[in-house]
Amino acid sequence: MFFASRWFIFESVNIHFIHFIIMLIVKNLSKNFNTITAVNDLSFEVQEGKIFGLLGPNGAGKTTTIRMILNIIKPTTGEITFSGKLINENFFNMVGYLPEERGLYKKSRVVDVLIYFGRLKNLSKSHAFNEGIKWLKSLSLLEFKDKKIQELSKGNQQKVQFILSVIHNPKLLILDEPFGGLDPINQQVVKELILSFIDEGKIILLSTHYMDTAEKLCSDILLMDKGRTILKGSLSEIKQKFGGNYIRIQFKGNPELIRSIPFIKEFEQYNNYSEVQIDERVKPHEFLRLISSDLEISHFSVIEPTLDRIFIDAVKKST
Amino acid sequence: MKKIFTIALWEFVEKVKTKSFIISIFLTPLIIISFALLPTLLAGDEEAGIKAIGIIDTSKTYIRMIASELEKYKLKDNQPNYLIVNLTEENKSIHELKENADKQITEQTLFGCLILTHEIHDSITVEFRSKSIPGLKDLRRIEEAVNTAIINKKLQKVGIEPSEAILFTKKIEVNSIRLDKEGKESGSDFLVVFFSALILIMLLLMIIISSGGMLIRSLVEEKSNRLIEILVSSCKPDELLAGKIIGLSILGLFQMFIWALVAIALAGSHIIPDEAFSNILPMLIYFLLGFLFYTSIFVGLGSIVTTEQEAQQITAYLSLIILLPVIFIIGAIEAPDSNYVKILSYIPLTLPSIMIIRFKVAPVPIEEIVVTILIMIFSIYLTIIVSAKIFRIGILSYGKLPSLKELILWLKEK
Repeated sequence: MFFASRWFIFESVNIHFIHFIIMLIVKNLSKNFNTITAVNDLSFEVQEGKIFGLLGPNGAGKTTTIRMILNIIKPTTGEITFSGKLINENFFNMVGYLPEERGLYKKSRVVDVLIYFGRLKNLSKSHAFNEGIKWLKSLSLLEFKDKKIQELSKGNQQKVQFILSVIHNPKLLILDEPFGGLDPINQQVVKELILSFIDEGKIILLSTHYMDTAEKLCSDILLMDKGRTILKGSLSEIKQKFGGNYIRIQFKGNPELIRSIPFIKEFEQYNNYSEVQIDERVKPHEFLRLISSDLEISHFSVIEPTLDRIFIDAVKKST
Repeated sequence: MKKIFTIALWEFVEKVKTKSFIISIFLTPLIIISFALLPTLLAGDEEAGIKAIGIIDTSKTYIRMIASELEKYKLKDNQPNYLIVNLTEENKSIHELKENADKQITEQTLFGCLILTHEIHDSITVEFRSKSIPGLKDLRRIEEAVNTAIINKKLQKVGIEPSEAILFTKKIEVNSIRLDKEGKESGSDFLVVFFSALILIMLLLMIIISSGGMLIRSLVEEKSNRLIEILVSSCKPDELLAGKIIGLSILGLFQMFIWALVAIALAGSHIIPDEAFSNILPMLIYFLLGFLFYTSIFVGLGSIVTTEQEAQQITAYLSLIILLPVIFIIGAIEAPDSNYVKILSYIPLTLPSIMIIRFKVAPVPIEEIVVTILIMIFSIYLTIIVSAKIFRIGILSYGKLPSLKELILWLKEK
């Protein structure tokens, strides 16, 4: 009896001080609408402090995926867990969402709208008010706090909407085209904010079809088309995998000469330079040796493919 | 629960603040009351001025008597209401006399002309010619005068003097007295009941239609800017639905409350008869039940529309259905116990309005009150469940309106 209880105490004090990394895990997610499969066997995970890019052309199934993560619609099969638990109603207060289509209650006052949505995320009225004011200040919108939404410029309305998605300090932030409709200055403001969220350890899911946005912000991406996963992984890995066979070249001479080489996969001429994609099995210096005798070359460099190019290639390949 | 309250409060406060609400709260009763009062006001206006009426009676028997009957009517300043002109001339044919009279009527020296034509077998035809159609009141007085004259003449023939004739011709008026449940007498002027019931029901229906319209418009706005997605990622769709219905109901009650204050003030100054307030509590209960019922239909159907145009169409159709009971008001007042009124008071769509009228007209048995309230509660429960199912999917679907088949699929979805 004595030993048994001693063992019990011994076991119960044996706590592991391990910091559990909070993760969003999407596992084998599918969604069917009648006969249409909008999302087909999608799996990915996002760690805290990371920005995950959900990329794909229009109609790829990004919005449906986001809606399932938001617990707005139920998946047909598969599961979504957040910090180890299946998402449920309590999850509502931990997630912030910025939809692609923007717009607010036009006739309502800025501060009222902020308080309303703060309260819907379970903040008290005063807390919501204080947070709202803090955010308005940091986005230099404080002077508009008692104005009606419709009296604000479009860019400022968008910034108010951005505040809506973060007013309750969500752990998971889902941003659908966060830079759409913003001018370059405000794009920069929002970008810096998003980057600061990484330091705070938020999990950010970014959905976009602008590849340069994804390229600048995301550490990992998932490229989907027609509901299926086409590419998945860290951005640097993907670039490496696809890199090595893109060459930028500047020359004088007949371009038909390059076009006639059999291992050239693609050749595009721009105003000042040309881009060439060569077969993966051919080394760039072999290509250079082949053309150097016939063309006057002033520039030759191996370039990393842009995400744009990878995106187009991958989508093309999949169809 | 807390989120439902937050949503209800928001829906109420933001809508109370809108200009259209503030305007409607004052304008609607004004329009409806003036619609109810205008005809009587206009009818009263006809009395102004003396009306010259010509009489043509070739037998000359009745002219004096009709004239004396009509001259009894006086205007407010004690002037006679009618000036009688004898247009009968010995040597002219009836045709010429008519022409002469018509000329004076078109020149507006005469308001009208009464022509008595004697035919064989002692029968008389009477016509009244005028430029504009005479008012009901004028026509009734002329009719009465002619009838009295003719009856008196006939009685004279059998030896009864005009002074005695009044004993035969005097009409008895029936006063209708309504007994309420305790058997106490209460007056029931048909017109008072009709107008107070009509005004009340019109006001209630207007509240439902205007707030329902507001609801659909705001849903379309929320859908088009995807705020609805932020909302349903913050609370359950059922909570959103409940919050919207409750917020709107508070709005309706608030509107009622303000109108009641105005009405009480008007009653205090005897502009509205006290009669209009009898049985106000059960009527309020039926109003509230009706409001909840219609609003939950509005919410369900409102969630499937995407454009402002569709919203208007749906509001128009729903308004028509909601206004349907108004058609039955007269029937329900004239025969509150008839079968069709009974049937209508068991159909949820017409139940609230018909029951409100029945309370105005006749005492309603307690069993019927209980049964109808239960029917209402059950239908509200049912519509909310159906609406919630449609709402859940409707708010997330864009583009064309769903077909009936799709709607049924939505209802089956768990």
